[in-house]
Amino acid sequence: MEGTLKKIGLKTKEGGEAGKALSWLRNIVVDNLSIIIFLSIWEAAPRIGLVPQTFISPPSIVLSTIWDLVTTGVLFIHIKASLLRAVFGFILAAVIGIPLGFFLGGWFRLFERVMTPLLRLLAEVNPFSLFPVFILIFGIGEISKVSMIFWVCLWPILLNTITGVKNVDALLIKSARSMGVTAVDMFFKVVLPAASPGIFHGVKTSCNTAFFMLIAAEMIGASSGLGWLVFNAQNNYQIPKLFATTVTISALGLSLNYLFVELERRIIIWKESEPDY
Amino acid sequence: MNEYIQEAKERLIDVSGIVTFFALWEILPRIGVVDALFIPPLSVVLQTLWQLTAGGALFLHIAASLQRTLIGLALAVGTGLPLGFLLGGVYPALARQLRPLLRMLGQINGFSLFPIFILFFGIGEGAKVSIIFWSSVWPILFTTIAGIKQIDPLFIKSARSMGASRATIFWKVILPGAAPVIFTGVRTGATHAFLMLMAAEVIGASAGLGWLIHNSAMNSVIPRLFAGVISIALLGAAITYALHYLEELLIDWKPASENEN
Repeated sequence: MEGTLKKIGLKTKEGGEAGKALSWLRNIVVDNLSIIIFLSIWEAAPRIGLVPQTFISPPSIVLSTIWDLVTTGVLFIHIKASLLRAVFGFILAAVIGIPLGFFLGGWFRLFERVMTPLLRLLAEVNPFSLFPVFILIFGIGEISKVSMIFWVCLWPILLNTITGVKNVDALLIKSARSMGVTAVDMFFKVVLPAASPGIFHGVKTSCNTAFFMLIAAEMIGASSGLGWLVFNAQNNYQIPKLFATTVTISALGLSLNYLFVELERRIIIWKESEPDY
Repeated sequence: MNEYIQEAKERLIDVSGIVTFFALWEILPRIGVVDALFIPPLSVVLQTLWQLTAGGALFLHIAASLQRTLIGLALAVGTGLPLGFLLGGVYPALARQLRPLLRMLGQINGFSLFPIFILFFGIGEGAKVSIIFWSSVWPILFTTIAGIKQIDPLFIKSARSMGASRATIFWKVILPGAAPVIFTGVRTGATHAFLMLMAAEVIGASAGLGWLIHNSAMNSVIPRLFAGVISIALLGAAITYALHYLEELLIDWKPASENEN
């Protein structure tokens, strides 16, 4: 199959614009062949009866359901509800966690030694097991969900900021000081950039976990949001809507992930990339 | 003698934060700064914990949660390891082709799929085990493939030049070479899976620590709620330690990493 596609590319090489477009298309198909085959099987299996259609909706139906939800505005309402909670909780955690991390990691060293074991202990506690506690204290409203997101995000951000600040190479600070740099410049030009990879790692980790904790929380204690939408679809046995919402949630999660990777790539241009599969 | 005093002082400083926290947890509700109905004093929580243990109820729930975790993990290891070895070692070209698909699927959080699992397996053990399976199989699969790729080819070539059979190469070179990396994947998967399980149990279960918490919250039995939270934290820590211990037991050639958390 690759050979045929390559031949098409060759034939249209002289075709100029059309040739470029076709070889671009060819590259995309070849690179993502496994995904395309997966989608094709997903589409075909329910339709030819391999899998009962009441259980698995083919992508075409899923997409049309998503389109319905978009055009009726339903999807937008729930995405907005979920995102607002997530963003609010996250920003709160960042606004508190990053400065606190700087203080603990940079200035109050003894205090930090005392606090860090405690902070690590609190961070280990399963965040979802605390959700009922938050509901208890704040009631079934927006605050309980925002506070859970806050809790989930705070620990990775705080702990990673502390580590990031503590690991700033002492040599950098000494060299800067020996060149007579002001305290402000020291912070913005030395400490902040040096700690950034660590801070960013904390931010990335917290975001991914937070988004899905939110979905889970919305499933049990909410009346709006994507989590509620999925649960509602499941209870009413609306399978296409179930799939549509799940796909939306996954897509949202994937794009958030991708967003952060891109952001990191652009902001932290001096960090070496890690090897992986 | 001075050494001991010094070391004792260091230890004291290290745990002082935690001790203070627990002391505050005990004192603040009792003197009324924090509403004792919402956050009972630590002693009351510990008492409830003891009652649950003595009555055997706690063991029931721990067993339920643990069983789901272990079954899911076993399935994930049983699927991920062989598949990873096949893809990483025997069919690397296939691994490359599948990479976009697998990466995409691996990033889909198991919890978003929970409703679909419920659809297939009903609100029973199947759905919860599936979440654990899904959450742990991807780290295990990816680290197995990566683990095989990072084995020094020199080892394999030396073994082959000494006339080792394929089986010997697998058991004595490839498996030990990839084991440390694979174990990291197992640990990541297990931690992730346990987190997901708690959420799943809150939503649809009739036993297990997650259910215990949810039920306590619904019936406003607050000390039991906190006792459950503590139990979950302890169980999670126990699983992590068990895996660490297992790793030390099996992989005795790996140099101790300095970055232990």
